[in-house]
Amino acid sequence: MKRISNLVISIWLPVTLVIVWWFASADSTDPFFPPLAIIWETFQFLWIFDLVPVHLVPSLINLFSGLTIGVSIGLVLGVLIGTNDAVAKYVEPTVDFIRSIPPVATVPIFIMLFGLDPIMRISAIAFAAIFPTMLAAIQGMHQTNTTLLDTAKVFRLGNLVTIFRVRLPSASPIIASGIQVSLQIAFVVTIASELLGSGFGLGAFTLIATDSFMITDAWTGVILLGILGFTINFLFDLVERRALRWYLMSKKLA
Amino acid sequence: MFGFLLIWQAATTFGPLVGGSLPSAIEALASLGGILAEPDTWQAIGQTLYIAGMGLLISVVLAIPVGVLIGLSSFAFRSTKIVFDFFKVIPPIVIIPIVILVFGPTAEMGVFLVVFANFFMLASQAAYGIRDTDPVLIDTMKCYGLGRFAQIIYARIPGALPFISVGVRISVAASMIVAVVAGLIGGAPSLGREMLLYQSSGQPGKTFATVLLFGIMGLALARIWARVQKKIVFWTAA
Repeated sequence: MKRISNLVISIWLPVTLVIVWWFASADSTDPFFPPLAIIWETFQFLWIFDLVPVHLVPSLINLFSGLTIGVSIGLVLGVLIGTNDAVAKYVEPTVDFIRSIPPVATVPIFIMLFGLDPIMRISAIAFAAIFPTMLAAIQGMHQTNTTLLDTAKVFRLGNLVTIFRVRLPSASPIIASGIQVSLQIAFVVTIASELLGSGFGLGAFTLIATDSFMITDAWTGVILLGILGFTINFLFDLVERRALRWYLMSKKLA
Repeated sequence: MFGFLLIWQAATTFGPLVGGSLPSAIEALASLGGILAEPDTWQAIGQTLYIAGMGLLISVVLAIPVGVLIGLSSFAFRSTKIVFDFFKVIPPIVIIPIVILVFGPTAEMGVFLVVFANFFMLASQAAYGIRDTDPVLIDTMKCYGLGRFAQIIYARIPGALPFISVGVRISVAASMIVAVVAGLIGGAPSLGREMLLYQSSGQPGKTFATVLLFGIMGLALARIWARVQKKIVFWTAA
């Protein structure tokens, strides 16, 4: 009973909003706000599943290849910088500077370098994804419990072993949240790279639809992008909760 | 920083990037000086700051009271959670195609995007802050016979301020980014649009100089906000 009432409380508002949108837009003649019923019809027609391989799959491939490259580079750099104070002092101002640049603003630079190419998209995504992970890794390295480090020293663990068995596991909660930010930024840059340089991809589809005044098509693109943004975040939360279960448990015990 | 510039210059003069389309460090810095001498650039900086500032102001004025009210009611908090969580993770860039149709490539479009980007995050920060008030504090106030109103004014809102200020700090940075993106992708009058014009008219030096300018502005804003924040919520370290 309690569960049902909890469920009702948390979903009545979103459901109502969609219903209100459905009926309020039903007789809409405003070209910019077509009825939701028509948007839904078009959505089914376009995205279940005709255009998925043409537009959605390339976007996702670019997103995840860029993200993987960026996060890997970010992790390696973060560990190197985080465990090495001399290097940290040297690169921190530069890093600070680069990360105050809006990630989307680097896309034109990558277009300049590579042209309108998948390579351009993937490298722009990877570049933007480096920083959040790297900063989180640096911070994580700094925050390792000193008792743990001393213990590792007493047991004469080598530097490499200490990094992999002590520092990285203890930094993993921070690193996970860094990777999540990387994911969010990578998603934004993916869309930006498609909006700025057309071709295939969900962003490009939506752009072409608005430019040719296919407003309903554009709405389906925007809705799909919104759902996609929400879903990848949600999935990340799930994976994170599983991977860091030991940490959450230990926090509960403490 | 200086070493980095040297490496950049070396890479573009005799390193792997010779003859590429990446300008050398000296070229980029010269272009930065060049665009800073143009009145158009300053106008664009002003427009960018206007979009970011106006959007930030509107979102703070709207979001914080809404967040406080939601935080005060457990029912409202639980009812709005899914909606807020949904919109919080949707980046504003997603809705740009529709927003351009409605507003056209104008400053209003940029302001709207900034508000969209900040509103849900700020409101939920405020709501979480209100709910996070120390229960002992509230119980103490109840013992002294202080009413609900006094509790809100003297305990809950001051208790929520650190949360709100973290939210605003994130918003300050986000507003600048969105103002730039609104120009770059939506064509709103801002530095973003200038940058796109430089890039599409084949002026790599100026394009790169604009990126440098973004970095400088971002750093400056972060510094300024850190100072302001210290004054407003001086009792917390964050």
